[in-house]
Amino acid sequence: MERRTKFEGSELPLTALRNGETGIVTSIKAGRGECWGFKRRLMDMGLTPGAEVVVVKSAPFLGPLEVTVRGSRLALGRGMAERILVVRKKGCLREN
Amino acid sequence: MSKRKLTIALAGNANVGKSVIFNHLTGLHQHIGNWPGKTVERAEGTLHFKGYTIDIIDLPGIYSLSTYSLEELVSRKYIVVERPDIVINVVDASVLERNLFFTLQLIELETPLIIALNQMDIAKKKGIEIETEKLEKLLSIPVLSTVAIKGVGISKLLEKAIEIVEKEEKPNPVEIKYGEEVESRIAKLTRMVEEIQFWYPPRYVAIKLLEGDEEISREVQRIAPKIISTAKELATEIEELHSHSCSTVITSERYEIAGCIAREAQKLVPPIKPPIEEKLHNLTTHKTLGYPIMVVLLLLVFYSIFAFGGYTSELLNDFFYNFESFFKGLFGTGVAGELVWGGIIEGIIAGITIALPYITPFYLILGILEDSGYLSRIAFLMDNIMHKIGLHGKAFIPMMLGYGCNVPGILGCRIIETEREKLLAAFVTTLVPCAARTVIILGLVGHYIGIQYALILYVIDLLIIFFLGRLAFKTLPGEPTALIIEMHDYKVPHLKTALKQTWFRVADFIKIALPLIVLGSLAIKLAEVLNLLEPIATVLSPITVMWLGLPAITGITLIFGVLRKELMLIMLATLLGTTNFALVLTPVEMIVFTLVAMFYIPCMATIAVLVNEFGWKKALFITAFEIVFAITIGGVVLRVLTLAV
Ligand SMILES: Nc1nc2c(ncn2[C@@H]2O[C@H](COP(=O)(O)OP(=O)(O)O)[C@@H](O)[C@H]2O)c(=O)[nH]1
Ligand SMILES: [Mg+2]
Repeated sequence: MERRTKFEGSELPLTALRNGETGIVTSIKAGRGECWGFKRRLMDMGLTPGAEVVVVKSAPFLGPLEVTVRGSRLALGRGMAERILVVRKKGCLREN
Repeated sequence: MSKRKLTIALAGNANVGKSVIFNHLTGLHQHIGNWPGKTVERAEGTLHFKGYTIDIIDLPGIYSLSTYSLEELVSRKYIVVERPDIVINVVDASVLERNLFFTLQLIELETPLIIALNQMDIAKKKGIEIETEKLEKLLSIPVLSTVAIKGVGISKLLEKAIEIVEKEEKPNPVEIKYGEEVESRIAKLTRMVEEIQFWYPPRYVAIKLLEGDEEISREVQRIAPKIISTAKELATEIEELHSHSCSTVITSERYEIAGCIAREAQKLVPPIKPPIEEKLHNLTTHKTLGYPIMVVLLLLVFYSIFAFGGYTSELLNDFFYNFESFFKGLFGTGVAGELVWGGIIEGIIAGITIALPYITPFYLILGILEDSGYLSRIAFLMDNIMHKIGLHGKAFIPMMLGYGCNVPGILGCRIIETEREKLLAAFVTTLVPCAARTVIILGLVGHYIGIQYALILYVIDLLIIFFLGRLAFKTLPGEPTALIIEMHDYKVPHLKTALKQTWFRVADFIKIALPLIVLGSLAIKLAEVLNLLEPIATVLSPITVMWLGLPAITGITLIFGVLRKELMLIMLATLLGTTNFALVLTPVEMIVFTLVAMFYIPCMATIAVLVNEFGWKKALFITAFEIVFAITIGGVVLRVLTLAV
């Protein structure tokens, strides 16, 4: 019944990925309280658990992230991006 | 033959081509205004076709029918309550999966539906081939491919829409099935909802209750609280099974379905698109080059708006003042003549010559920047800095435009999603010294005391913007701001659509702002004719003389400044009897006067747009706040400066 097991590897915030790396969304940290609306919005834009997301680059001075998800390109404020948890998607020829 | 009436609504994500299609369909029979009581734009038009009078509504661009934003709420209410005869779902073929996610929600709303598969040309360039028939079969909804900017497929679309309406059979789209755990609970809840009278379809209500939709929960709670408690239990069960919140589970599964359909219907082949759009994107969002490019572009925009505005403004002014003697001849130079000319006509002239020459090019350029996709890149580049005052990147545009004229600045706040952020951005924009205030700053402080002091005033202004922005951000209730914006591929804007939209937006502005400006002008003229100005100056003297340490007659200038701030200096010269201000005002007085003039009240045209966008209450609150704030800061600065000197 534990669905999480389908994601291997440790969870990290989207902001921890390097440019060009792909992550698979595991969850978005947001309580029913303050960030609820933004969680909804992120999911409506395609960032649902299981979705593949590529970090393209980030704006200078810790600015927003440019990502691509489900064929569209989004700009995400850094505060929001930190709440998106992903696991790193490994290439099949990588070490361990 | 009596004409039959039809209503067609256009719905879809942002930037899919709804407005271009809308403009193809409606020609010049359209009207752009706001949804009642909302800062959401409503575009409506009519069209005559095959004996029908067809009403077309261009719904705002949205990604979902949840109630995250006002746009989504407005759209959902419209579809469910006003029941258009058919909804045309405009879909961007180049981002099929995400667009279908929205389509699925329209299907769940059980509204009659056809799909315009638009931007087929872009999809093709990107190497995405879509089989329309297959998509049609998968969804059991008519799908027509279109290329809106070339007008391809639009008339077929209209014919199909009418054909569907004429058939009058219930829409029968594909059933959207979620996973078994979710589906069984939806079924259970649906049976309960079927028992009550509700204007949304029962299955839709059941799904939305499980998702925790606030609006629907609230309304069902009133009629049948039992359903809500069951919904909560069922949602918790789903949460325990999936270890994700129920709304997350449902949204994910809906996206799975959308993805599945998209993969079935589309074939990916190597793109034939020359990567020019991609290069342009990389250049304009580049970590170093992006900024100078932005600055140059914006200066260009800024310059062209104000060069055009200044030139036309003067031209119009000269043109209107040719009629001065004619009018005065007609109504005499007595009280009536004064009121008609100085009150009403000059008010109209003020409205037309100040606002129109600036807001018309502004609307056009803003529209083009938005449609081309550059606006979202600016938001990307500026987000970090704007965050410091609690706003996200998009708010940079209105603020920057405010330096020319606050009116377009505030209108520009429409590009921001949430009501709260719109208001915050508009408030900050009214604090930006516009060109008229720049005249005072440079003409008085810059000219008589020294340009460095004028610059200090600008810096003070920035600090105040920062400080008050943060304050408003902290006190205004609501969610913190975060940028979530799509940076769609660069596109060539459709000029005809942009021009038409500009025209109808300007018409909307005139209708709302002009009466207010004329009324203000009339009131001031009336005060002048009735010889009330001197008494008013006396009444104001505790503030102007005692608190601010200024000559009493500055009170009169401050009143006139409400109408036209750029005339304050000329007025001051007339009242003081000299254009050499150094003879009559001390440097400290000049600084205090300028500071007060910078902040004390938005001008009449600005108040008019504030009312238009946010309603009377908020407009008056901002105005009142700024009056008090300006007077306070003026007095404080006076005392600090006197101590220092
Ligand atoms: N190449 C191409 N561009 C299009 C097409 N339809 C719309 N556009 C462009 O896409 C942008 C957004 O269109 P618009 O109608 O404003 O989208 P809306 O947000 O849905 O109203 C504009 O720059 C249009 O010129 C199309 O079929 N092909
Ligand atoms: Mg539009």
